[in-house]
Amino acid sequence: MKQYIINTIIITLALLISACSTSSKLTKSTAYKGVYTEKPTTVLLMPPINKSTNVEAKDYFHATLNVPIVNSGYYVIPPFLSMAILKQESAYDSELFVDAPLNTFREVFGADVALFTIIHKWDKSAIGATVTVKIEYILKSTTTNEVLFSRIGDIIYNASVDTNIGGLAGILADLAASAINTAATKYVDLAKSCNAHTFRDLPAGKYHPNYEKDSEHMAGHKNFRVRLP
Amino acid sequence: MKHVFTISIVIILLTGCATPTSLYTWSNYSTLAHNYLKNSDEVSTTKLFDGYDEVINNQKGTRSAVPPGIYADYAFLLLERGEVERAREMLNKEITLYPESKVFIEHILKMIEE
Repeated sequence: MKQYIINTIIITLALLISACSTSSKLTKSTAYKGVYTEKPTTVLLMPPINKSTNVEAKDYFHATLNVPIVNSGYYVIPPFLSMAILKQESAYDSELFVDAPLNTFREVFGADVALFTIIHKWDKSAIGATVTVKIEYILKSTTTNEVLFSRIGDIIYNASVDTNIGGLAGILADLAASAINTAATKYVDLAKSCNAHTFRDLPAGKYHPNYEKDSEHMAGHKNFRVRLP
Repeated sequence: MKHVFTISIVIILLTGCATPTSLYTWSNYSTLAHNYLKNSDEVSTTKLFDGYDEVINNQKGTRSAVPPGIYADYAFLLLERGEVERAREMLNKEITLYPESKVFIEHILKMIEE
């Protein structure tokens, strides 16, 4: 019996370590040094750059980027208001700015950093059960133009699994009330999962209890491959 | 005894990588935001208003505060409907709650005046 318990504990620990082991060999303060030195608080979401063949992909990501960054403790410039102003100022095409000086965005929006999102690939499998997404996130300083955080993910998303937290009743209520189609709900969930997985690695912002306490935590890999959910 | 022990281990495994409770709760905001982004019609606008009301009035996050951007984007929808006074109120709430929004929101307030 004693041997059984010891064996179980060893196996459990091994499983726990492997289950959570998605980190690189770098601490966050090394991988994302600029975040700790510049201490950005305010993030401007640039409209995603869509290089995939799915024209809808841009909206799925644009609508879902603010939540994980806000949940990490940052102030995100209101996405709809900023989108309207970016359009008005003819700055809606993010591709023009990804390699350009960003100081204007500090002056107009008060943004410390701008987030560029590049959707490289969005491919549905023949039967639609899985979607393969390649997506890159680049957080650039509006002061120094340095890249403070960047990750590229190859994500295989199982679209047949329902991840909606509101549950079936919530989905049905939404469907009845606003004719949101199930495919859209599913792909919003996909974008949410990709964003959440990537920004889980972002050092905590000033509204988060881990702010300035996570510098020695291990960072995830810059290039990652994952199956979600 | 063996079963109890094994079950406990499975529970530990399942909870081992769980993320901590979130700073804010969002209800189904993302779905409604996407629907508005795509359609921008009366139905999607009304639903997004409801979504914002839910986030503001039924906030269960650990900060017990309305998340950044919610009051200001609420104001954006009000401006689209021509409800300038209410929009101004909401924009000022955003500045009070999040002073780092001041540069941008004051820019919007000036645009409203013009």
